Amino acid sequence: MQGWNGKLLRVDLTNQTVSAEDIDPQDAKDLIGGRGLAIKYLYEEMDPQVAPLSPENRLILATGPLTATPAPTGNRYMVITKSPLTGALSCSNSGGVFPTEMKRTGFDLIIFEGQAQEPVYLWVNDDQDFGELSRAVEIRPAGHIWGQDTHETEDIILAETDPKAKVACIGPAGERLARIAAIINDKHRAAARSGVGAVMGSKNLKAVAVRGTKKVACAEPEKMRELCRQVRAEVAEAVKKGTSLNLYGTAYVPAVTNEIGILPTRNFQTGMFDGVEGITGHVLREKYLIRPKPCFGCPIACGRLTRVEDPVYSGEGEGPEYETIAALGSACGVDNLAAITKANYLCNELGLDTISIGATISCAMELHEKGYLPEEDIGMPLHFGDADAMIEMVKLAGMREGFGDLLAEGSYRLAKKYGHPEYSISAKKQEFPGYDPRGSKGMGLLYATSNIGASHMAGDLAYMEVFGVPKKLDPLTIEKKPWYIKHFEDIFAIIDAAGLCVFLTIRYLCDPTHEVMPTRLTELLNCATGAAYTVDSLLEAGDRIYSLERMFLVKAGFSRADDTLPPRMLEEPMPEGPAKGHVVELDEMLDEFYALRGWDENGIPTQEKLESLGLSW
Amino acid sequence: MKVCVKLLSTYRKYLPADARGSTYSLEVPAGIRIEELRAQVPVPADESQVVLINGRTPLAGQVLEESDTIAIFPAMAGG
Repeated sequence: MQGWNGKLLRVDLTNQTVSAEDIDPQDAKDLIGGRGLAIKYLYEEMDPQVAPLSPENRLILATGPLTATPAPTGNRYMVITKSPLTGALSCSNSGGVFPTEMKRTGFDLIIFEGQAQEPVYLWVNDDQDFGELSRAVEIRPAGHIWGQDTHETEDIILAETDPKAKVACIGPAGERLARIAAIINDKHRAAARSGVGAVMGSKNLKAVAVRGTKKVACAEPEKMRELCRQVRAEVAEAVKKGTSLNLYGTAYVPAVTNEIGILPTRNFQTGMFDGVEGITGHVLREKYLIRPKPCFGCPIACGRLTRVEDPVYSGEGEGPEYETIAALGSACGVDNLAAITKANYLCNELGLDTISIGATISCAMELHEKGYLPEEDIGMPLHFGDADAMIEMVKLAGMREGFGDLLAEGSYRLAKKYGHPEYSISAKKQEFPGYDPRGSKGMGLLYATSNIGASHMAGDLAYMEVFGVPKKLDPLTIEKKPWYIKHFEDIFAIIDAAGLCVFLTIRYLCDPTHEVMPTRLTELLNCATGAAYTVDSLLEAGDRIYSLERMFLVKAGFSRADDTLPPRMLEEPMPEGPAKGHVVELDEMLDEFYALRGWDENGIPTQEKLESLGLSW
Repeated sequence: MKVCVKLLSTYRKYLPADARGSTYSLEVPAGIRIEELRAQVPVPADESQVVLINGRTPLAGQVLEESDTIAIFPAMAGG
C-alpha cells in the first residue's frame, strides 16, 4: 500500500502483549484512514455500551494517508474512543510533530485495549529491526513518572528513550480521570476534547513515545511534489502579504465574533464582551508573542510561542488559541490576556481541555452568582471577571483537589449536582466552543447533532457564517443550513481521516466556487494512495464515516432526544447586539437534516441508507 | 451624518492615527449606500473580505443610517 503504511499496532495492556496487523486495503479505501478506520475498529470490536473508563473501552491513535507525506499540514492525528464526558464518541484531533513521527514508525494506527495493572508507557522505536516486533515496541513501567505534569513527563521519557522521540502523554488530570482531560503531545499540542485523557488514565497508560524514520511511499510522487509545490506557493504568497492566522494566530477571532454578537460572554448570557479589545490577537502579538510556531510541514504557522513576564502570570509556552480565549476569557468575564495565557499554560501542563474547563468555570460562576452554588463549597468567591479565581479553579480541576474534583466532571454534572443542569451550556454534555449559536444558526444544528457533542471541529460552518470562507452566509437564517451542516460534517470527516488540518484544506484544497467541494484534496489523496477517488466517491466516504459513527451512537443508546441544545439556546433570546432576539430554531432544521442524512425521524440511519454505503448493523 | 468604520485583524494597519481601538468616525452624506462607503475606506479590495453593517450581513445597495458601524475584515479560516 502507498500513502497508508497498511499496518496497525495492537497493544493489550492487560496481558502486556503487542502485535502488528495488516489493514485491509479495501477498508482503507472505503474509510480513507485516521478517524474513518478507527471508528470501524471501535464499532466492530467493542460493545458501544461499555463503560468509557473500563478496561473494555478501546483507545485508538490514528494517522491518515496524508500524514507524514509532503502534503502541506499533513501532520494530524486523531484520538478515537468512547467518551467519559458524553458517553458518545470521542474524535479528538491534534497536530504538532508527534503524528508525523508516529506514522513514520510504520504504523497507521495504534489500538490500546485492556488496562495495565501498574502505570506504563509505550515506546515504539522503529530504529530497531521491524521484523522483530518485541524489540521495536516496548511496554515500559511508568510508576516513576506518574504524578508528573506533561512537560516533566516528556523530558523524563526523552532522556530514557531517544532525544529525537516524540511524546504524547497525560498529566495529573488524565491520571485522576478528569472527564475533561486532554492528551498533550509535543508539550503544547492537545487532543483535548471529550475526556480522551481520562480514558488513557483509566488504562494506566501515562504516555506514548515514538521514533520513526520510515518514509511514507506515495503512489505518484512526481505529481504529488508538483501539486504540493503549487499549494505551498499560494499559501506563501498570502502569508507574505500578511494573513490573519500567520500574524495573529486564531487569537484574531474574538474581535470578529464580538462584532457579529456571538462571542461567548459570562457563560453565554450574551454574545458581546466589553473587554474584547484587550483579549484579541494584536494584543497577544504586541505583548506576548515570541514567534509563530508551525506544526510539522505547515506553511501557515498559526501556533503562538509566547512568554508572559508579568510576575503574577509569568510563564512560557504556546497559545492561547481563540477557543481558549473565549472559554477562559470572555465566557468567564475575564479581559486579562496575561491571565488567560497563564491559564492556558497550566491546562497544557496539567492536561486539561481549555474549552471544557473554561466553560465549566463560567458555569460555576453563574451558579454562584445566582445563589445556587455556595461559597463554602467552592472555598472562595467565584465571580465573573475574577482572573485569579479562574486560574485557581484551573489548578484545582487539574489536580482534582477541593472544588476542582467537581469541576473535573465537566459543567453538566456540576450544574446537575446543584439542581440546575440548564446552566451547563453543552450538547451531549460537552461544552460549547466559542460561537453562540443563537447568532450562528448552522452551528446550532451542528452542536445539537454532532456525534461527539458540541464541537466546531465536527463541521465548522463558522467558516461561512462568520468568516466568509469561501463566501459569507447570513448566520441568522436557517435556510439551507441543514444541507451545509451535512456537507461540512462529511468534508470534516474526510479531512480528519486524511490526516490534514482544516485551516489549509478548506481554503486551499477545496473548490470555493462549488460549495466547498474537495477537488484538490481528492487529487492529493490519489497522488498519495493511488486509490482513484473521485470528488463524489470521496464525499461518499465522508458520509460513510459519519454514518458509521452514528451507528456507534445508536448502539450506545443515543437518538433524537439527545440531538438538542440547552434551554438558553432554544428559549432565551439573545439579549443584545446583532443577534438580539434570536434563538436557535432547532426543530425546524432537524427533520430536514435527518432526511438529507438518510436517517429516520428519530435520527437512526435507515437500512436503505446503510446499504447504499456498504454498511450494516 | 457620521458613521463608524471598524477595521479588524490585518486591516488594522489601515486605521488612521486618530482611531479609537479598531474604530474611527467618518463624515458621509446622508443616503450613502454601503458600496459607496466601502470605496471611501482605504482597504484594498484585492482579496475576499467580509463587510458588515452593525454586525449583520448587508443587503446589496443598503443605505446607511446615522451612527451605523461598518466592519471590514479579511475572509479567513477561523478558530
